[in-house]
Amino acid sequence: MSSTRFRLAGATLALLLTATVGCSAGEGVDVDGGNAAGAGGVLNAAIGGEPDQLDPHKTSAYYSFQVLENVFDTLVEPDANLEMQPSLATEWTTSDDQLTWTFTLREGVKFSDGTPLTAEDVVYSYNRIINEKLNTAYKFGTVKSVTASNPTTVVITLTAPTPNLLANLGGFKGVAIVQKANVESGEITTKPIGSGPFALSGYTSGDNIQLVRNDNYWGERPKLDGVRFTFVSDPTVALQNLRGNEVHWTDNLPPQQVPALRDGDEPKVESVPSTDYWYLALNQGRKPYDDVNVRRAIAFALDREAITKAAKFGLATVNQTAIPQNSAFYYEYAPYSHDPNQARQLLDQAGVSDLTMDLMVTSEYPETVTAAQVIASQLEGIGVNVKIRTLDFAQWLDEQGNGNFDSFMLGWLGNIDPDEFYYAQHHSGGTFNFHKYRNPAVDQMLDRARTETDQGARKQQYEQVAKQIVDDASYIYLYNPDVAQGWSKQVTGYQVRTDRAIRFRDVALTR
Amino acid sequence: MARFVLRRLLQSCVVLLGVTLVVFLLLQLVPGDPVRVALGTRFDPQTYEALRARAGLDQPLVVQYFDYLRRALTGDLGVSFRSGQPVTSIVLARLPATLSLALTAVLFALVIAVPLGIVSAMRSGSFVDHATRVFSQFGVSVPDFWMGIMGILLFAGVLGWLPPSGYVALTEDPARWASHVALPAATVGLVTASILTRFIRSSMLEVLSEDYVRTAQAKGLRTRVVVLRHVLRNALIPVVTVVAVQLASLLGGVIVIEVLFAWPGIGRLTYDAVQARDYPVLQGAVLLVAALFLLVNLLVDILYARLDPRITVK
Repeated sequence: MSSTRFRLAGATLALLLTATVGCSAGEGVDVDGGNAAGAGGVLNAAIGGEPDQLDPHKTSAYYSFQVLENVFDTLVEPDANLEMQPSLATEWTTSDDQLTWTFTLREGVKFSDGTPLTAEDVVYSYNRIINEKLNTAYKFGTVKSVTASNPTTVVITLTAPTPNLLANLGGFKGVAIVQKANVESGEITTKPIGSGPFALSGYTSGDNIQLVRNDNYWGERPKLDGVRFTFVSDPTVALQNLRGNEVHWTDNLPPQQVPALRDGDEPKVESVPSTDYWYLALNQGRKPYDDVNVRRAIAFALDREAITKAAKFGLATVNQTAIPQNSAFYYEYAPYSHDPNQARQLLDQAGVSDLTMDLMVTSEYPETVTAAQVIASQLEGIGVNVKIRTLDFAQWLDEQGNGNFDSFMLGWLGNIDPDEFYYAQHHSGGTFNFHKYRNPAVDQMLDRARTETDQGARKQQYEQVAKQIVDDASYIYLYNPDVAQGWSKQVTGYQVRTDRAIRFRDVALTR
Repeated sequence: MARFVLRRLLQSCVVLLGVTLVVFLLLQLVPGDPVRVALGTRFDPQTYEALRARAGLDQPLVVQYFDYLRRALTGDLGVSFRSGQPVTSIVLARLPATLSLALTAVLFALVIAVPLGIVSAMRSGSFVDHATRVFSQFGVSVPDFWMGIMGILLFAGVLGWLPPSGYVALTEDPARWASHVALPAATVGLVTASILTRFIRSSMLEVLSEDYVRTAQAKGLRTRVVVLRHVLRNALIPVVTVVAVQLASLLGGVIVIEVLFAWPGIGRLTYDAVQARDYPVLQGAVLLVAALFLLVNLLVDILYARLDPRITVK
């Protein structure tokens, strides 16, 4: 009798096993290097995490854009110096009043499934972002209408001159041109169809995403047969994979090892300063941080070099304004030398003593946790007692949204136009002005610079903005971090970009 | 027997219902707004409201819960907040990876623990016994992620025998699956083996002092026969429970190990879902783990009756 029972149990388990195995099998195309048909081979790339979804208009995760950079196209795209170059649009003209932009599209562009990409697709993509208020809707703030006068002409009319329109339309793949059918079928979240150099061929949840060369690509045919993105969250493990030739490329390197790796020969590791900036913000809705002297005191008390060394192992450039040195909009201004005496004087002037400051950081970005410890010890020197509060990101964002902090440290990631560096953060109506900075003069300058079409005048205006923001210590800027990436000797033609876009279209693998 | 199974299944359903309620309520208490997390550093009030409405988070709690239950009964666990994919398929897609890792790890643990435990008990106080106890002390006290990293550095880095991370489905390529599962399974298995070894040892010692063992020896049976027929069989009965509990907890996903070895199982899914406040996925994963736990327990009860005729199904 007992043996019957035993068999029943065994059968249940077997059934369960087959059921679950059955669920997973059959998905994805095998694009492993081993059985690739062409000579180009499949590049294995290890990225730090899994994309949340692959709809470029809906995702906000960098992991998604690492993949999507190779799948989608935008109207224009930034070159290595972040200047906008033709992509799907070959040329464009602007009306005299700067309110009408006419784009001419490249002829014969096809999506990877072979269907043509026309001006209607551009209209559909932009209207989708605008009407559904998707993540990048803010980039279309001044857009009144988008129309297609013929299959290769797109006309964008504006409510105000928008000198950074090109940067808004091509800054990153969040404004990509998508296919209506792909969106309406709902497949875009897992099987996106773009017009880029590669097309998605397989997706194994939790493990990897596979791309194959898009033979319908309008540009130069990629040399690689495909790219396989694997999700490896531990940097030590990712590096080990790179060394062991399991992967050919990764941007997930242990930061403390990067300086040594850069000096080495294999793997090849390179770094460039990024367009991100990291900063300390003080809550100006709270006393005594509404007093500019208190904020300036803290700015003087900080030793940025020491913070950078501890938080980034030196993989960053200290900066006192937001815009990095390699940008055309860089403005050299650094009034806050490390000067504790000056800091103490400023605090006295403000009548502040025995100050206890809550500093909110997040484990999502461990560098903020490390930096906070250095900041705390530096501020202790001027009599400010810092209480570090480490939260996970969800909670952190909640507290930030509710204004429940004395100070916080965070970064602003990926910018091209100066408007992106300053407006949302420092305009009194800015959506990211959680630290409640109010300066009517800055508001006015920001509004004006936004619509200034003369490039020289625009640069000058942003310099004024930058100076005022730094003087007011609206944000206390700390550094621009480096982008560090590594690849094996087999990889040729790869370039690290300051905007962190990962482009594999010109890459080749030697064997 | 059929009635017994049926009753236990019904009980399990009640427990599962309780699990959904507790998880649902707990998630409400967790600080952090999932919509804000989805938006990250790019915050815009309009986008925020639109996203919230899309996820149904603007509905009252009671409505949200009963909606969830109603759909769950038809096997629809909702859609992922992040990706918009059905939770049921997301969770089930991760099950094979976790199952294969957990079963391999337990197998690995048994292969080490059973002989070690027996020898250690038979020669209590000997050098082997002491060495075994040191081993199991080491296994339970050293953190598994550290052992994992050391394993990677040694077997993938220095020796180059095994891939440092990654996953290949067993059904796709068994050989490559084995090479990938070896390190994570050994890491998890070592910890499990340490626990099991101690347990088997003390269970053996207990049985060895039983009257019937002495009787068996007095009858003149060879030690081999006594150990295999009488001692082992009885000593393993409580061990079955421990093995089952270990297995069940591994099926819930070995979070740290799965994250470290980039193993696409339930543990890693849970970790990612927590990070992103992806409530529907988290709920689905917990529900699945709870169901597996109940199933394993049911199987253990059945196995128990088989191993020890004294235990009759009541």
